[in-house]
Amino acid sequence: MRNIGLIIMREFKERVYKKSFIITTLLMPVLMLVLSIAPTLIMFFAKGETKHISVIDQSGIVADKLESNEDVVFEVVPNGDLQTELKRSLEQENFGVLYIEQDVVTNPNKVQLYTNASSSMTIEDSIADQIEDIVETERLKAHNIENLPEILKQIEVNISLTTYRNGDNEQSEATSSAASSFAGIALGFVLYFFLIIYGSIVMQSIIEEKNSRILEVLVSTVRPFDMMMGKILGVASVALTQIAIWGVLLIVISAAVIPAVIPQDVLAGVEAVQAGADVATLTADIDPEAITALASIMDTGYISELVVLLLLFMMGGFLLYAAMYAAIGASVDQVQDAQQLTTPVTIPIIFSFIILTMIMNDPNNPLVVWCSIIPFTSPIVMIGRIPSGIPTWEIVTSLILLYATFIVMVWLAGKIYRVGIFMHGKKPSLKELYRWLKY
Amino acid sequence: MNNIICAQHITKRYTGHTALDDVSVEIPTGSVYGLLGPNGAGKTTLIRVINRIIVPDEGQVIFDGKPITQQDIYRIGYLPEERGLYKKMKVGEHAVFLARLKGLSRYEALVRLKEWFTRFGIEDWWDKKVEDLSKGMAQKVQFIVTVLHQPRLLIFDEPFSGFDPINADLLKQEILRLRDNGATVIFSTHNMASVEEICDHITLINKSKNILSGRVDEIRHSYGNNIFAIQYRGNQDAFKNIEGSCSILEREYDQFSGLTSARIHIENDNDVRSVIAAINESVELRSFSEIIPSMNNIFIRAVNGNLK
Repeated sequence: MRNIGLIIMREFKERVYKKSFIITTLLMPVLMLVLSIAPTLIMFFAKGETKHISVIDQSGIVADKLESNEDVVFEVVPNGDLQTELKRSLEQENFGVLYIEQDVVTNPNKVQLYTNASSSMTIEDSIADQIEDIVETERLKAHNIENLPEILKQIEVNISLTTYRNGDNEQSEATSSAASSFAGIALGFVLYFFLIIYGSIVMQSIIEEKNSRILEVLVSTVRPFDMMMGKILGVASVALTQIAIWGVLLIVISAAVIPAVIPQDVLAGVEAVQAGADVATLTADIDPEAITALASIMDTGYISELVVLLLLFMMGGFLLYAAMYAAIGASVDQVQDAQQLTTPVTIPIIFSFIILTMIMNDPNNPLVVWCSIIPFTSPIVMIGRIPSGIPTWEIVTSLILLYATFIVMVWLAGKIYRVGIFMHGKKPSLKELYRWLKY
Repeated sequence: MNNIICAQHITKRYTGHTALDDVSVEIPTGSVYGLLGPNGAGKTTLIRVINRIIVPDEGQVIFDGKPITQQDIYRIGYLPEERGLYKKMKVGEHAVFLARLKGLSRYEALVRLKEWFTRFGIEDWWDKKVEDLSKGMAQKVQFIVTVLHQPRLLIFDEPFSGFDPINADLLKQEILRLRDNGATVIFSTHNMASVEEICDHITLINKSKNILSGRVDEIRHSYGNNIFAIQYRGNQDAFKNIEGSCSILEREYDQFSGLTSARIHIENDNDVRSVIAAINESVELRSFSEIIPSMNNIFIRAVNGNLK
């Protein structure tokens, strides 16, 4: 045990005290933030230039009802001729010409857009939408209904569903499936990267140690099993440190940003919901779904429960996969040789990731449920399902199976590791690894 | 005499080949013990069995009269043939790490390391990075770390490979000094000259079997071929083969000194006196000595199966 501790300490120091660790740990959240804000910023600053479109309206109905905006300016050309207008627009470097035929109300296909440069979906859609509305109004007019606009305004409605979980608790909690599935997928995504990245770090550093022959020096005083566990736990401690730093940064940032961004009345609503008020009784002009989602995100109890489960599944999954990566690392001389052997390890990880996207549609789909119980896929899939609220026994079963499999896997990996670290030269096949188990 | 290590009937099989086949070795306490053999003979496997790195299929290792346990590992210092260090660590920090793995406290490790670094004149390496050390420099650090916890048994696998003659000599002196301080030293090597210089006992392993064990001087004498070197003055042809007891293998006359040097083979040990008498009759005998075969010679003969 003392030796495992020494090895963990060494591993931790070597990685965490490195400049690159400090830089990536601090830069990563900044990068993520920039990436998530970037599209909005680009949209904001990179306003396209205003597009001038000449309109020739044979019907005389549409043209004067077309509304210009910042992007598109319509210039009505009364009694224009298409050919001359096309020429003129080319000379003036306008965007193009919109030509509306006489019987557009009866025959909506009689609208043409001629452009001088490449067109875009957005512009085409917005023009089509405008003309659609105008033609619709025109057709309704033909029915001669009095006070039509008022009637239309009166009947307009926007339903938003408030979902309650029918649980054992007397007071059913309002849940937000959008927030749950978003949280689930985000967490699953984190776990996916965690397993792949830190798993291969374990593998690579064992290959490195094997090649530098430091393992030969260590092996006389440290049992190979302790060496392997020290390595796995050492890397795990580095990973946890990194995640803890990110977690703290995230909390600090959201504590500073959320109140500033979210409107006061929404915040009041969130507080009311947290205090036990029913969403439905709140003012109608705020989307109750959003309030429920925010309420659960800002609920410390809910978050800490999620964090504990995330850590449990993260550690279980990491230990399971790191043991496999360690065995592979010990049995090859070069990272390139490991490719073939890592395939069977990465397949379940990628498969879980695919399953993760199915959670959005139905977190209780049988395939999803099974994958959240089976150890190799359970860490990612279960963590994806948890925010949607699932029975405790499923979580417990999944955890027990995961940790039991981890113990078996570490035992097997230790056997391969013990033989592998002395094998140099030939690249072993899976069959050979199997044989090493019996040495 | 008591033995610190008794390896009894060790057999280790791998799929496809047997690395050790019923090998027994007894290593006397306080000796310098050479483990010889061609590449791939099984020396390293035997060393790993003694070190408890691998478990033999059959046989057992007795350490100091009792079957060896994991605790005994702390009383062994092992310098493997293929040895490396963490490249990114600082020399001092690395040495402390390895010393602590061998059971020393941080303080103890620091005190002893300072002492050894001073002895080897390498104090200023302490804060260097391992990757900046030359191979020979790294070897010195590895040697220090191997002996630092003052183990009773030291095992060196090919210790001289990679050392320049000056450092190899330093290493030899250190090995002998450690022996004088009570440690037992096992080392495997191909360097036969060093075997004659510092080994008391050897075992020769070939094709997974122990084919020769014993004291170095006994082995060399017992595998002598009764070949003698003589020098005499006088008519070089006056001394002839003696039918049935002595044959001249080669003879050379040096005109400056007027001496003839010859190598002769005396078939029977009992004839030595009569042969000397016969030589003395015919010429003026100046020197007479037995040619003891070198370890190199015995090694090659043994491995090729020509050892008498």
